[in-house]
Amino acid sequence: MSSYERIAGAERVCFRDVVQRFRLIHERPDTLREAFAHLFRKRTSYHDFEALKGVSFTIHEGETVAIVGRNGSGKSTILKIIAGVYRPTAGEVRVSGQVGALIELGAGFHPDLTGRENIVLNGLLLGLSKREIQSREQQILDFAELGEFIDSPVKQYSSGMYMRLGFAVATEIDPDVLLMDEILAVGDAAFQQKCSARIDDYRQRGKTIVLVSHDLSTVRQLCHRVLLVHNGVLLEDGPANQVVARYEELLHNPGDTVMSAPASS
Amino acid sequence: MGQLIREILKNRELIWALALKELQVRYKRSALGFLWALLNPLLMMVILTMVFSTVMRVPVHDYPIFLISTLLPWTFFSQSLAYSVESIVSNGDLLKKVYVAKSVFPLAAIVSNLINFLLSMVPLVLLLVVFRFPFYRTWFYLVIPFASLFLFTLGCGFFFAMVNVFFRDMAHILQIVLQAWFYFCPIIYSLDFVPARYRPLFRLNPLAYPLNGFRLAIYYGQLPSLASMAMSLLVGIVALAVGYRLFQRSQDSLVFYV
Repeated sequence: MSSYERIAGAERVCFRDVVQRFRLIHERPDTLREAFAHLFRKRTSYHDFEALKGVSFTIHEGETVAIVGRNGSGKSTILKIIAGVYRPTAGEVRVSGQVGALIELGAGFHPDLTGRENIVLNGLLLGLSKREIQSREQQILDFAELGEFIDSPVKQYSSGMYMRLGFAVATEIDPDVLLMDEILAVGDAAFQQKCSARIDDYRQRGKTIVLVSHDLSTVRQLCHRVLLVHNGVLLEDGPANQVVARYEELLHNPGDTVMSAPASS
Repeated sequence: MGQLIREILKNRELIWALALKELQVRYKRSALGFLWALLNPLLMMVILTMVFSTVMRVPVHDYPIFLISTLLPWTFFSQSLAYSVESIVSNGDLLKKVYVAKSVFPLAAIVSNLINFLLSMVPLVLLLVVFRFPFYRTWFYLVIPFASLFLFTLGCGFFFAMVNVFFRDMAHILQIVLQAWFYFCPIIYSLDFVPARYRPLFRLNPLAYPLNGFRLAIYYGQLPSLASMAMSLLVGIVALAVGYRLFQRSQDSLVFYV
């Protein structure tokens, strides 16, 4: 059981009236042939889809906040905006401190490079310097537990090994704000335990965590505070139990149709 | 431009690592590995020499050297573009998940070809030794055509990488354009062969200036006119300024289209 409390501290993430519009394309003229075809068929083949319709919230240092909502509600879009992947269409976003995004583990691994080579490449992609990576290599290796596989190309890894390496690199960066998108279920039970231990350690050291999860018991357990988004609108922002209950209500409300968005492709 | 320099400095380790990865992946599991970087231009030179010197009898002494002095820089240019045009699109999945300065991908593509280009200077030197061809002092001057070519390539690389995101035909169009451009450049011939009345047309080719600089320094042992040097540098700087500006202007929307 966790309770909602406002922890005094610096602002880490601040959204003010953030709008994210995607151009949903039905048939975008991707090629010359299609472009020609479109010259003759003069109708717009897109409509604008608002994944976020003016979302405002502030997350302070040391908070662990979950974002819940149905598929296509805009959860991942929020994370990607915090990570800097998307530049929002309108509104103001302020983020302070280094952001570490576990949006997809092992994004940027090259299949032909070995685990060791990928640690360096991935670390650089995530914003570390080569020296910082080298000084943390041993910890990453210890955490990922890949044994002799570390010097084989990652295309030969099992999916669990791949995820373990990705998790090890991404969390070893030790960012001020850690973003996690549905990545709590990594590897086997033993490894999952190590992962949650690492996340607990983060929280204890006063780091900020923003996570997206459908696993409501984890959310209740980990988070002080939950944001509920629905169709791009922030419906509720409050203590975990209260918001999760509201979300469950929403989930079981059959009268409500939710449009699914391709925002998190 | 200041922005570009800052991005390069900030991401230099990443750019270098990506460039090395590119080479590593390109040569991995091939028996000759890095030797291909040396063999490729030599074999190309042998083919073109057979066609143009032996069969068509282009009246040039030491044709292989005449040819390779511009063939190597051309290969750098065309390969760099072929790699950079795909660089953003092929890293699209990554761009959607991690924030990275977009410019690192075209830059890495070009740096990896730059390494190849520098390696390919080894067979050039060997060739000069084998042909007992003199090393002119004008080699020192190569810095200028080299810098011009590099800047021009960067500018084009940024431009094509960006356009290809919005318009995927670009990669295919570029292939044809590069083929035509090859014949339009003074590589297998020199501008003196071109009938005088067409020469102004050939001078419109921005690549002609740096390529000619390479040939003058290596093959003729001469320096180009100051005007020609200035022109080649200017072309490079303008290309980079324009190419990067266009790239920068759309870099925030690239992620929505990859």
